[in-house]
Amino acid sequence: MAIIEAPDSEPLALPSGGTVAPRQALGVFSRPGQSKGWRSWITSVDHKRVGVLYGASALMFFVIGGVEALLIRLQLVHANGTVLNAAQYNQVFTMHGITMIFLVVMPLGAAFMNYLMPLQVGARDVAFPRLNAFSFWCFLFGGLFLNSSWFLGGAPDGGWFAYAPNTNPIFSPSHGMDFYALGLLITGIASTVGAINLVVTVINLRAPGMTLFKMPVFTWMGFVTQLLIVFAMPVITVALFLLMFDRNFGANFFNVNAGADPLLWQHLFWIFGHPEVYILILPAFGIISEIIPVFSRKPIFGYPFMVVSGIAIGFMGWGVWAHHMFASGVGPLSVAAFSVSTMFIAVPTGVKILNWVATMYGGRLTFTTAMKFAVGLVAMFTIGGLSGVTHAVSPSDLQQTDTYYIVAHFHYVIFGGALLGFFGGLYFWWPKAFGYRLSEKLGSWHFWLVLIGMNLTFGPMHIVGLQGQPRRTYTYAKGYGFEFWNMVETIGAFVIALSVLIFFINIVSSRRNAKSEHLVVGDDPWDARSLEWMVPNPTPAHNFDEVPIVAHLDEFWHRKYGEDDKGRPVRIAATTEVMQKGDPTGVHLPSPSYWPIVMAAGLPLIGYGIIFNLGFAALGGFVLFLGIYGLGLEPSTDPDAAHPHDDRDGHDAPDDHAAPELEAADEPEALTEEVTADE
Amino acid sequence: MSDVAIHHDPKPGDHGWTQTGVSNEKLGMWVFLGSECLLFGGLISTYMLYKNTALTGPRPHDLYDIPFTSVSSFVLLMSSMTMVLALSAIQRGDHERCRVWLVTTALLGSIFISGQVYEFTGFVKHGMGYTTNTAGSAFYTLTGFHGVHVSLGIVMLMSLFMMSLRGRLPQERSEVVEIVGLYWHFVDVVWILIFTVVYLIP
Amino acid sequence: MRGPQRWVRRLVLIPALFLLSSCSGKQNIFSPKGPVADKINKLQVPVFVAAGVVGVIVAVMLAYVVVTGIRRAKHDDDEEPEQIHGNTKLELTWTIVPFLILVAVAFPTVTTILNISHRPANAMKIDVYGQQWWWSYEYDLNGDGTPEIVTANELVIPAGRQIELQVHSRDVIHSFWIPALAGTRDAVPGRTQILELEADQPGEYDGQCKEYCGLSHANMRARAVALSQADFDRWLQDQQQDAATPAAGSEAAAGLESFKAKCASCHQINGVNEIEGKAALISGHAPNLTHLMSRKVFASATFPLWVIDTQGRLVFNRNQLETWLRDPPAQLPMAPTEARGMPNLKLGDAEIDQLIAYLQTLGPYPAGATAPGS
Repeated sequence: MAIIEAPDSEPLALPSGGTVAPRQALGVFSRPGQSKGWRSWITSVDHKRVGVLYGASALMFFVIGGVEALLIRLQLVHANGTVLNAAQYNQVFTMHGITMIFLVVMPLGAAFMNYLMPLQVGARDVAFPRLNAFSFWCFLFGGLFLNSSWFLGGAPDGGWFAYAPNTNPIFSPSHGMDFYALGLLITGIASTVGAINLVVTVINLRAPGMTLFKMPVFTWMGFVTQLLIVFAMPVITVALFLLMFDRNFGANFFNVNAGADPLLWQHLFWIFGHPEVYILILPAFGIISEIIPVFSRKPIFGYPFMVVSGIAIGFMGWGVWAHHMFASGVGPLSVAAFSVSTMFIAVPTGVKILNWVATMYGGRLTFTTAMKFAVGLVAMFTIGGLSGVTHAVSPSDLQQTDTYYIVAHFHYVIFGGALLGFFGGLYFWWPKAFGYRLSEKLGSWHFWLVLIGMNLTFGPMHIVGLQGQPRRTYTYAKGYGFEFWNMVETIGAFVIALSVLIFFINIVSSRRNAKSEHLVVGDDPWDARSLEWMVPNPTPAHNFDEVPIVAHLDEFWHRKYGEDDKGRPVRIAATTEVMQKGDPTGVHLPSPSYWPIVMAAGLPLIGYGIIFNLGFAALGGFVLFLGIYGLGLEPSTDPDAAHPHDDRDGHDAPDDHAAPELEAADEPEALTEEVTADE
Repeated sequence: MSDVAIHHDPKPGDHGWTQTGVSNEKLGMWVFLGSECLLFGGLISTYMLYKNTALTGPRPHDLYDIPFTSVSSFVLLMSSMTMVLALSAIQRGDHERCRVWLVTTALLGSIFISGQVYEFTGFVKHGMGYTTNTAGSAFYTLTGFHGVHVSLGIVMLMSLFMMSLRGRLPQERSEVVEIVGLYWHFVDVVWILIFTVVYLIP
Repeated sequence: MRGPQRWVRRLVLIPALFLLSSCSGKQNIFSPKGPVADKINKLQVPVFVAAGVVGVIVAVMLAYVVVTGIRRAKHDDDEEPEQIHGNTKLELTWTIVPFLILVAVAFPTVTTILNISHRPANAMKIDVYGQQWWWSYEYDLNGDGTPEIVTANELVIPAGRQIELQVHSRDVIHSFWIPALAGTRDAVPGRTQILELEADQPGEYDGQCKEYCGLSHANMRARAVALSQADFDRWLQDQQQDAATPAAGSEAAAGLESFKAKCASCHQINGVNEIEGKAALISGHAPNLTHLMSRKVFASATFPLWVIDTQGRLVFNRNQLETWLRDPPAQLPMAPTEARGMPNLKLGDAEIDQLIAYLQTLGPYPAGATAPGS
């Protein structure tokens, strides 16, 4: 172990409680051993901590993106607004889109998927814990890199869709679009690595007995999402590389004067971009598919149809990309084909909505905040879905495209769909992650204000859109009938802001009052159905004392309830009998590592290097390779950390034959990680 | 949960146990290669779109030396065979042979890369630089991405070689060689595709 | 109970939305003024209605299960709900019924797509060029490949005649859109795209660039003016004339000299200079000013060149033009330092007066206009 030394502090306070005598230092870093404090967070490879980090960072970016949204709304509150000038507005709306899509909704989805998917399939860990941590740091640094553009000559100003050739340096001379290309490449690496990890986790680490069709719907939707990421990200990676080569190295991919075809960008971007839409929404679909059954006290209606419709959406999502290009001139036959394929993607989506309704039908509904958000999603997403059908009809899309009607549509889908789902998920799983719940009272305020706010903000966008207000315009003139509704939209935006403020207040105050009576929850506060609730709250680091043997969909529920002859649930076991105890004896977890964050730190350096000075890039490359080799050569499990057998066998000798064998078992992973990370 | 159990018959929840029986590492590599297919798919499509759109300067087609590239393609193809030999050697426990074949594979890969560099230098001399025209940009980007993949493969092979020399690549861990081999074969297959689509089809 | 109230509100909102949106606005997509836009409208209205109906049905269903579910939770305290896992017949029903609805939508959609994308045989061809951040229109009347008329900001067409617009771009992607006459068509550099449109009646129709095209995208307006055939024929005659030369020694003559010194490196006035395609701009083009005063708008159709005064007369909007000439980038965001848009030429007061005196001569004036100075 050339560059590792043993911890000089207590080893990870996991199983045995036994300690290892500090060994001689052999390298640069001491292996991190903390389980508390900031260092334990930056070195953690625990999928739950990675999930929490993803969520916290996404909420931070949500505030940034939200401020950008408020600036947009302030600029447009009156005709001929003067809050921002055209150049500033173009940067703000571009960054609002990029931030909300890549730095808020995607990572919020990643937060839930990281935290929950391993738990829901009954795994102790993910397949590649350190790569998972790398994925998070990569995302965070990519997001910070993108936002650093504000201070380094201007943010991207070509729209999140960055149509060529408007991104050519002639038309966008600031470094903004360089930050766009490189920043999204970095976050793209994060998504891809994280997706490979979760795909393998789901395929390989399901608990015994958990066949694919016994997986919870959330895990299924997450699985489809991750597969979409695996296959969609490389396409935008190509597009972003081409853009970067064009801007920084004089290539001709989008140089029309050299004979380039600007539609190449559109095809590449939307082949990624449309699956991306489902990457954004499917996790939220999964979340409410967990929430609705729990608070209806009924199983999800039509489970196989729920799953298959999710898979169908994932597949069909690849065949509709040109519906973003109806006006681009792709030819009438393509337009007709994509128009029809786009309409039919509404079928599986409709199936989902009706199944949620059917799940609630006949149920005993408890309107907790989580449930309110879930039902809110069903209602709001239906509006977004139906407006989507109106522009699948491509001739009408020729009128609607690039108006605020489209803005209304995708905000009903992404805000009314994805974000409401995520909020619901936060209220639902907060006790799972932290052991106390968020205040339901503040939660109710949050929900009603966000619902009213979003309808005030995005509802009138349908109207001004149909009245012909184009999107991506920093100003509008009087006399088109836009003024009143724009004013309403701005008021709505501030209502949303207020609701988000209440949400943050809720987080802070609930954390402060975590011990108070109304927030304390025991284990299984909602009488839930899936495996993640079978372990104590907050989830212990090792997840499961013993990996459960799964016999049913909703395994946890079936351990608690049987059915009487009328099909009604009957208690067969007390929750405490079914719950695991959270006893880590005998469990062996991967050790924390510094290398994921080191590796990730190399990437933004390379980015700055390509933009400003290749010297930085060399430094970044060095850091990256150092990280890769450090990670590759370090065993995923610290051989010096206490092992279960140490206790029992009464020896902690690093020289006995077990230690090399352990390394042997661990290192194949390390090497593969090196391989994967090279990309 | 003794050591024996961990290493020879992992139980559910243990490190090394999987539902499918395929190790995480190998499955991860397969998923990653699936992702790579779309990366190269995008690059190849870009080249196909642009191969005849050059407004100025020579196009790649005007400059190809098919016999030369055929030879270097053959070299790369052979390296897939030596990769197989390296794997079978380590699976037999023949570390000496394994090292020989690993180095041979890396060497063949390096010969291929050198061939590329030589070929491209010639192209540039004939006036087709990276920025000359659309076809040139697309050609160099596609083959460049492939070349970087081969180079990273060489780095991995040499890492395996060094590990083997230091005795850290025992027979039980032959799967590492297999996984690197998967990557290497993938990169070779991509080249066959590129050679056919880019060089041979006019 | 809060749940039902929400539903009542939403049920009211949906139809209200459609009513409100179809009532007003110069760029409203529900008021077609020509056959192409009308075909689109005939397709989209029933689709909107169908979507609204489906939305109401789903909303009612959702409201019903929510209300009854809450009631059940409140009243039957210990009664657990029956555990229904699914119903294949229902699932198939709500897979097939939406499918059939969509098939019903798909047929007219495809028909309309093919219908509006055919190229009419006898249509009048006009070339439309988008460039940052204005539209120009070129009329090649004799089909020899060079346009006889080059104009800007106002697309002038004969009413009641099919027009085939050939849409081009000279820099980035723009999108041409006059909602009352037709749908959108992108102007993609390196490509020529066809957009068919037609106006039923003479009139003025607003639109604007729809594809984000950089800094001043918001100000890139489009405008179509449909004339009766007789008026249009006269317009064609007028536009083919070179600009008149002002009398020597007049203020206008001094303005012409100013034009040659300050403006002629970008703007062309037929009979004075030839700079089309060679202007010192990325696109190579600035608005052709030969018959500037025949247009009712200027500066990418953002500002009126002619306005109705208090006495109801159509008069020259001198103030606006003067403000513009004093500092164009202050009026509209542009990037003159990057050769994209008009710079501030730092013209003096006297020079501006002379220039306007000259520009005023670039008639003919619009029908019904009161000549400046009269």
